[in-house]
Amino acid sequence: MKNYYVQRVLYALFTLYIVITVTFFMMHAIPGGPFTRERHLPPEIEAILNEKYHLDDPLFKQYIDYLGGVVTFDLGPSFKELGLTVNDLIREGFPSSMNVGLVSVIMIIAIGVPLGIISALKQNKFIDHAAMFLATLGVTIPSFVIATLFITLIAANFTFIPISWVNDPQNVGDAIFRYIGPVIALSGYSLSFVSRLTRSSMLEVLRQDYIRTARANGLSERRVIFKHALKNALIPVVTYVGPMAAAILTGSFVVERIFVIPGIGRYFVESVSNRDYTVIIGMTIFYAALYIVMVLLVDVAYAFIDPRIRLGKKMGD
Amino acid sequence: MKTLLEINNLHTSFFTHLGEVQAVRGIDFVLEEGDILGIVGESGSGKSVTSLSIMGLVDDPGRITEGSIVFEGVDLTKLTNEQLAEYRGNDISMIFQDPMTSINPVYSIGNQLMEVILRHTKMTKEEAKERAIELLKMVGIPEPEVRLKNYPHQFSGGMRQRAMIAMAISCNPKLLIADEPTTALDVTIQAQILELMRSLKDKINTTIILITHDLGVIAEVCNKVIVMYGGMIMERSNIESLYDNPQHPYTRGLLQSVPKNVTGKKNRLIPIEGSPPDLLSPPPGCPFSPRCPHAMEICLKEAAPLFKISDTQFASCWLHHVDAPEVEGYVKVAGDENE
Amino acid sequence: MSHTHLSTHELDSERRWVISVNKNDFNYVESSKKLNKEQIRPSLTYWKDAWRRLKKNKMAMAGMIGVLLIVAIAIFGPMFSKYNYSDQITDFSNTPPRMEIYQIEEGTYVFLSAQYRLFIVTDSGEIIERLDQTDTDIVNRIYTYDNHGEPVYLDYSYRLIPDSEIDFKLTYKGVSTTEQYDKVWNTTFLLGSDNLGRDVLTRVMYGARISLTVALVATIVNLFIGVTYGAFSGLEGGKIDNIMMRIVDIINSIPLLLYVILLMVIIDDRGLWTIIITLGSIYWVGMARLVRGQVLGLKEQEYVLAARTIGVRRAKIISRHLIPNAMGPILVSMTMMIPTAVFTESFLSFIGLGISAPQASWGTLANDALSALSVYPYQLMIPSLAIALTMLSFNFLGDGLRSALDPRLRKG
Ligand SMILES: Nc1ncnc2c1ncn2[C@@H]1O[C@H](COP(=O)(O)OP(=O)(O)O)[C@@H](O)[C@H]1O
Ligand SMILES: [Mg+2]
Repeated sequence: MKNYYVQRVLYALFTLYIVITVTFFMMHAIPGGPFTRERHLPPEIEAILNEKYHLDDPLFKQYIDYLGGVVTFDLGPSFKELGLTVNDLIREGFPSSMNVGLVSVIMIIAIGVPLGIISALKQNKFIDHAAMFLATLGVTIPSFVIATLFITLIAANFTFIPISWVNDPQNVGDAIFRYIGPVIALSGYSLSFVSRLTRSSMLEVLRQDYIRTARANGLSERRVIFKHALKNALIPVVTYVGPMAAAILTGSFVVERIFVIPGIGRYFVESVSNRDYTVIIGMTIFYAALYIVMVLLVDVAYAFIDPRIRLGKKMGD
Repeated sequence: MKTLLEINNLHTSFFTHLGEVQAVRGIDFVLEEGDILGIVGESGSGKSVTSLSIMGLVDDPGRITEGSIVFEGVDLTKLTNEQLAEYRGNDISMIFQDPMTSINPVYSIGNQLMEVILRHTKMTKEEAKERAIELLKMVGIPEPEVRLKNYPHQFSGGMRQRAMIAMAISCNPKLLIADEPTTALDVTIQAQILELMRSLKDKINTTIILITHDLGVIAEVCNKVIVMYGGMIMERSNIESLYDNPQHPYTRGLLQSVPKNVTGKKNRLIPIEGSPPDLLSPPPGCPFSPRCPHAMEICLKEAAPLFKISDTQFASCWLHHVDAPEVEGYVKVAGDENE
Repeated sequence: MSHTHLSTHELDSERRWVISVNKNDFNYVESSKKLNKEQIRPSLTYWKDAWRRLKKNKMAMAGMIGVLLIVAIAIFGPMFSKYNYSDQITDFSNTPPRMEIYQIEEGTYVFLSAQYRLFIVTDSGEIIERLDQTDTDIVNRIYTYDNHGEPVYLDYSYRLIPDSEIDFKLTYKGVSTTEQYDKVWNTTFLLGSDNLGRDVLTRVMYGARISLTVALVATIVNLFIGVTYGAFSGLEGGKIDNIMMRIVDIINSIPLLLYVILLMVIIDDRGLWTIIITLGSIYWVGMARLVRGQVLGLKEQEYVLAARTIGVRRAKIISRHLIPNAMGPILVSMTMMIPTAVFTESFLSFIGLGISAPQASWGTLANDALSALSVYPYQLMIPSLAIALTMLSFNFLGDGLRSALDPRLRKG
């Protein structure tokens, strides 16, 4: 049992290592290296970069140094903004991203899962068709469409809903209502996906032999569904929710841009359009690390749900 | 002897998008207390659907369209699902074919076993646990206190089937339905499980319906037999008459496909030439007629009634009709006296 | 004819028989007649059966019609357009699809855009010309336009009065108008024009070409890599399979979108092919898994074993035996991959990593429209709707295909 967790952690560390390595060398695969393409670097930055990255060192030494930096949670300075480090940007942007993300994740789970269960139980009834129609719309409409629809249709008619993020809200209304737009845009896709996934997983589980056994044992329908079916049906949902949470907690490039939220998603997009290479590398690694941690958490959650993973294979007769 | 279960003209169909699949088409039989009834027939002949109909567990596009299932004087087809749930696992319980998939993988054996006990009795948790350990011991699982905490994947197939039997007998059912309980198991384990069931029958004094592919098993364990084909009863008989004097061509076919020497336990059916009928649009006559060596014009038009061969033997075959040609081994039964 | 009445020999079943039986009925039947009985229902082939069930599925058919329509528009639409995707009529920039027109003189209609540009239009919605602004009196909030020597005065001070019933006042040749004459569709630019005066409809139709080409080719690249990888891994089995699947596991625990972005940054060329290659090289993992699973299942089947023992080359086994059998799930997966690729491409364009101007995908169009979203929402809504409809159509079709090809649902 311990074995399993140790194995998963090692595995995550290995994946993270691969990510760092690949990202580093990808950036250095740019002809002439990431730092020489731009001719007009301010000399101060050039100096910092040289000091930090020892750009004259052999590539391998630079790589080792970078790894060393990452291990000590130092993602290096920005390439374009004097005096700012990648760590600064993350520290500044992450709280907003995480606030919006957390509310969205909670919404997704609290609404998506029950909706999927209800649809599965009322298969082919009106409520199922209605919910699944909405869910299909949800997974097919891109978040920027949802966001703009929200701004043009809803926020325009309900003026108490701000159309862009209020940074330091003066009143309670702004503090709450500023979440509405971003959360709807951010959770639309995943909420729909989770409810569809829950529904199909639930239907699949309800077809299983052990559900028939539970019924044959005279258990009430409530117990059959909420004890025997649900736990099994949630396994694929958990698999999806983990990485999804990672993606949502780190903010969405699109939603943060539309609602002007000063989150790390926006910094990332800005760094991409500015070709701020060190920030791109650093942010990528930060994202990937968070993602990998979430995948690891999924593996742990898996083990809680499924004893086959927790306890390993057959102990014999 | 007292009648425990009486099934009259049972029809069960699945309403699929292709049309109505008539899985069971008019079945009647009576079960007395203490019987061990064997139901035998090829795959797809409606054995499982019959037993699920008794349990009220026919899955969704399916439902009982006609007939009654009277258990101790109560017609189960008239009950609501909640009322039926009181019977299930309590008075009537069922063991399924595939022990690998029939136990919930995410809960421990003890959890699932105690759940059934707590559902149908007024025991406390501790008492239920005692009872669960006792049951595991009864079905021959060593170290029951330890095994109680195990999960299904830690059990072998045979052990899981024992655990399922423990669940099924936990409330001393009056009727125990076992749907091919040994088909998925190794040959040596099969014999052990059958032996276990036979010994349990005496211990808890229950009536059993044993569904199987295997006529050899029926010969060893049962006192009555029903031979099913295409959702209908072909022959119904007590055990001796069926083996000594089979009165339906299908039964004969089945018996011929069983090796005569019973040294090897693996008496699987070798299917008779041809394939089972399509129950979606079954031809009007006897379902076996397309494969029957003695098929007559009438067999393609009408299914035969159950001709009474003796007090304990009935066969649904036109060969028993007075007007039918003589075939060796088939008895003629007098026609209607009103003629 | 002699009839024999049979009463039941059965205890309790009245239903069974009181029937008439004809003596001739007891003749044996020939075996040919018996066999016919068994073949009453023709057995349908896999694809025919799937097609028949797909046709019954209304959503799937709606999806299919949608897909065909979108493809047709992408291919043929631009041919019928009087504009090219890069044609600019700067004078006519940012005209909406629907215009409120005012009559300033008998037979002369004008339209005032959100940017305070005044256009002479016909009452059927055709834009004739844009009037130059000759004077701006910011204090009194009056703009003056020149209509071939005659001034048109626009008094927009009403817009600052709360709850004013009048929007603005136009004065021409001494006559003032405050009342809207009509609301008409823009017939010069059916879906309006963008900020450079390009026809939005034409741009969206060209955008369809780009978006669909990217999606389709990327999907095919993914398919090719995924099938090859999965089939090889599955056929090889053992250690190699193990390592290959470990690699897939690792790729799966990485946020792939980031790598698409990184690749786009590195290659730093916004051509069509860059996007196709980038998208195509990243999302093959699901396909590889799927194909490997299928291969493992099929591998044990006799015909493949037979082919192997005869020593048929692996590539041939894959193309002859495995692919045709795994075609169903592969097809479903492809149908689902196309909208994902459309989505990803539009997303990339939306964050500024898409195709470079003047070519434009739907994502680029949406991105371009974002800055003026509150003024010209239609410029964003139109490409967005195109994306949503495409996603919707492919998803409906894919869902339908999935259930039509589901082996579990096939029987019964
Ligand atoms: N859920 C279902 N939907 C449609 N047809 C079914 C379903 N379950 C069983 N059937 C049909 O009912 C018939 C009898 O099945 P069954 O009772 O399982 O046979 P067996 O004698 O092998 O137990 C078969 O033809 C099968 O196709
Ligand atoms: Mg069965």
